[in-house]
This record gives sequence, C-alpha cells and structure tokens, in this order.
Amino acid sequence: MSIHPIFRLNNGILSRPSACPSESRRHALHFSFGDSISMATPSSTTTTAPTPAAANGTSTAPPRATREGGGNSSIGTFGVKSGLAQMLKGGVIMDVVNAQQARIAEEAGACAVMALERVPADIRVEGGVARMSDPALIKEICAAVTIPVMAKVRIGHFVEAQILQSIGVDYIDESEVLTPADEEMHINKHNFKIPFVCGARNLGEALRRVAEGAAFIRTKGEAGTGNVVEAVRHSRAVNAEIRKASVMTEEELYVYAKEIQAPFHLLKETARLKRLPVVSFAAGGVATPADAAMMMQLGCDGVFVGSGIFKSGDPAKRARAIVQAVTHYNNPKILAEVSENLGEPMVGLNIDDKLKGGRLAERGW
Amino acid sequence: MSVTIGILGKRCLPLEKAKGPTLLFHTALQGAFAEHQSRLQNLHLKRKIATVLVKTTEDLERCDGLIIPGGESTTIALLARLSGLTDALKQFIQSKPVWGTCAGAILLSRSVTGAKKDGQELFGGVSVDIARNGWGSQVESFEAALDVNGLSDSAVPYTGIFIRAPVVIGLDSNAAIQVIARLPPNLLPEPVDDENDPRTIVALREGQHLLTTFHPELTKDDRFHDYFARNCVFPTLAS
Repeated sequence: MSIHPIFRLNNGILSRPSACPSESRRHALHFSFGDSISMATPSSTTTTAPTPAAANGTSTAPPRATREGGGNSSIGTFGVKSGLAQMLKGGVIMDVVNAQQARIAEEAGACAVMALERVPADIRVEGGVARMSDPALIKEICAAVTIPVMAKVRIGHFVEAQILQSIGVDYIDESEVLTPADEEMHINKHNFKIPFVCGARNLGEALRRVAEGAAFIRTKGEAGTGNVVEAVRHSRAVNAEIRKASVMTEEELYVYAKEIQAPFHLLKETARLKRLPVVSFAAGGVATPADAAMMMQLGCDGVFVGSGIFKSGDPAKRARAIVQAVTHYNNPKILAEVSENLGEPMVGLNIDDKLKGGRLAERGW
Repeated sequence: MSVTIGILGKRCLPLEKAKGPTLLFHTALQGAFAEHQSRLQNLHLKRKIATVLVKTTEDLERCDGLIIPGGESTTIALLARLSGLTDALKQFIQSKPVWGTCAGAILLSRSVTGAKKDGQELFGGVSVDIARNGWGSQVESFEAALDVNGLSDSAVPYTGIFIRAPVVIGLDSNAAIQVIARLPPNLLPEPVDDENDPRTIVALREGQHLLTTFHPELTKDDRFHDYFARNCVFPTLAS
C-alpha cells in the first residue's frame, strides 16, 4: 500500500501540495480537519511538491485553477470542496427524478437534491446498465431549485464526471448505485474543480476514497431497499475502526494501515481527530424519520434519502418529517410528533441472496 | 465574567458550564454550527465565552449574542419556523448582536434576490439587499485573501472562503453601515469599475450586527470571531 503522492505530512498536519506554483495564494491549504478545513497562517510552510501526473487521462482540469482576472483568489481548492459538504451538515439530501420533485424537496427543507433518471428502487426492479442521467434533465432540475444539486456518475467514469462539471452541477456522487465503468479504479477526483462524495463500507474504503480526492463520504448502505440495516452496519464498522485506531501507537498504526489498506497519513489523522477527516453522511435504505435520527445518533453528520421519500405514500410530508428528525435527532418527543400519520412508507426489501438487483454495496474497490 | 454566545443549529447542549456571566451564540438548525463553536472555544479573551447550540426559544433566551451559520438559508428558515423560533429570533435581532455568515447573512438581509420559487422567509435586521448564490454553481466557489479593517494583525490578510456565496447588491444609504472588507472588483462575477460598488462588499457592520458573505468558520483563523466578540457583543453587556 503506497501513500498517495498528493498528500504529504507537514509538521503532523496533512497538506496537499500546491498544484499551480505560480498562483498567488499566500496561505497554504492544510488537511487538518477536526472540525473544519483550516488555513495555515502565512508564516507556515508552503508545500512545493511537484504536481502529480494525471492518472487516468483527465488532465484537462487542473486540481486548482486561478480565477480569470487574477487577484489573490483560487477556485477548486480542497477548502471550498469540503467546505460545501460542511454547509450541508445537519441536513437531508433527497433523490429526485424531475423538477417537480426537486421543488417538493426544496419546500420540505432539503439542503440539497440528487438529480437522477431513476431512483435506486427502480434501478433494482428494471435492471440493465444504469448510467449518468441525461444532462438536460439535470439542467432542468438545477434551474428549478436554489439549493445545491448533485448528480451521480458511474464508478471510474471520469468522462461522465467531466460532463457534469461542465454543466455546473454542485457535487458529484461517484456511486455504486450506477453500474461501474471500471472494475479496478475510481476517478482521480483531485483532477476536478467540482467536489465528489463517495460511498464506503469501512474505514479503509473511506480513506482510500479521501486519498483519491473525495471531499465527502457516505455509508453505502443498500440503496433502493428501504432497509436501513446495511447503513447501520457500515456506520458502526467505521466507528469501531476509528475507535480502535484512536488508541494505537504509531507503530501499530503502520500495521493497521496495511491491514485495512488505508493510506497511513490519513489513518493517522483520523486517529488523532477520532472521526473521519471529511464530512460523513448516512445513505442507503433510510426510509423513516426514526431511521434518519438513528443514523445521526450513530454519529453521521447528515442523511441521504433515496427512494424512501418519493416511493412513499405522502412524499412532501415524509420529506419534511425526515428533515426535522435530522435536526432534532436526540429529542424522542419531537421524533414522535413528526413520525405521526406519514402514510405508507416505501415497500422494504430483505437483504439476502434473493435480493433483486443484487447487493450494490459490493461495488467499489 | 463570562458571556454566552448562541449558534443557531443542531443539538443544543451547553458544551461547558459557564462560570459566571456568559455570552452565547449560534443557531444550530442546519449547517456549519460545530465549526463556529470550535472557533469560539479557541478564543482567549478577558471574558469567558460559553457557547450554546440554539434549537429552541429556551436556548435562545440564554444568549447574549448569536451566530447564524452557513448552510442552506431555505432550510434554516424552514426549521426555525417549524421549531417555533422565527418570532423569537426576530425579537432577539432587535435587541442583541447577531452575526450571519453566508446563509446567515441572507437571513439577516432586508430583501433577497434569487429566492426559491415561492419566495423565502428572512429574519431581517440589517439594511442590505442580497442576491443568493451570486457566483453560480459550486465550481465557481473560491478562496481569496482579504484585507479587513479592524481585525487584529490587520496587516495579515484574512482568507475568505466563498462557497456558493451571496452578493450584497444594495445598501440603505441612510443606515449607519460600516464596510469591513471588500473584494477586488475583478473577482466579482461581473467585473465592475467602481471600487465602491456594493457588490464588492463581503463583510459589513450595522450597529451591533455583523454580516459576512464568506465563511470565517471554515478557517483556523479566529480573528473574525474575536472581532465579533470584542466589537459587537462585549460593548452591549454591562461590565
């Protein structure tokens, strides 16, 4: 397991080398996230490592570009990528398939929407290859709402990601819900100005995604089932591994990094922070306000709800209830109030060998 | 003497028992309230600052000042309404210092352009007009070094992180508004020639209220939090 060249340890703080030596930024961006992405004071070390070569042909967009017109400013930094995820905290991100659903989600208090052609429950039923949605549909959804819009690309499909970046989506989900386009590699997400969220089942997987440039992690859960058991499993697995790492000596961390196939420096930073170094949400199978509050109590920063809302009896009401449940997740009295009379929940599926569409969470490497 | 500052947002647990008087900020409904909290806790001032994450009117009553964090303004306004906080917040803003960052700045403005389709609720309090999401999508989000009037170590620029940031498009010329920081005109979505164009304003003060269109809570630089505590909140307290 080699350490990704894009990160270097700098006085115990992780930092990403400046991609563009000529840019006039006076502050070195640091990867030291405890609560936030930090800016070092100007007197601190500036990193000068060479720009890593683009790995998969996506060399068109530099990781960080200076804005036209100069001036001390830069776009696409890790600070702004992970910063948007921090703004979504305590919120609910909802899957929508058209502009009308997007408006319902916005009115219900969603902090972002995920634009899709088919929700995971339908992808399961219909089968076939699931791909990025039609850009026209995504643009229509972008035009309908004022909150951030996310869209999914297939694992490893960097051209779909280039397309979504060019149409001005706010966040990309490199998602196991779509059929993978590459069975070995994920997208090199540092090559993009647009931030990425990725799914993970355990700490090693989460930190590999962060090493590739993901600014936001979610559990994989088991999308389209309305069954929260897998999301709980993944969240608990990550928590347990972080707790284990947090009491290890540095020598033990080297061994543990090898064991879970995580970059050492990210594992060390995670152990120090006692949490993932980026914002982490729950996803996959959340169907009720209680599910959402449970994931929050397990330590997630927010919740994605896919099929759970628009496959239920009264989407607007359920959406609003889940939004309130995520804010008041520790208050059972409010949870009881918002859970009343929500109508039919989505039909749930048992996760076993007969599961139609198979286990999506196993996609991703 | 300690002071209590509330932060509008998530779970409202007083993180520390304040010894003596307190200053609280922060609404904790949705957004980056935890980040504000850790910046406040880093401050070393003469008065001790306690922080409370505000989710209910009872939380709000304990506060000497309030921060409305970044997040989605539509979501925060709705959650405030559903939690029965809206009227209490409006009253609080009449009498006590409030700082809005990004979404918080939108909520404190007197009018908003680019609201969601059915319009959106504001708390008001600062005599500015604001446009949401002035630079476009997330791809246009940026960081820029700012020269800020009145910060400690003012020779050192402050790194502003602008995420889908709003733009100030108008000011009430009769209001006593003090501009604290501006962007160079060439960084605006549409470059302007006039350096005094309101659109260049990214931080301002009106009386005891502070408004920033960027996110001081996303940096480790706590000078803005220091500024708010010392210049906006402390003067309102009996010594």
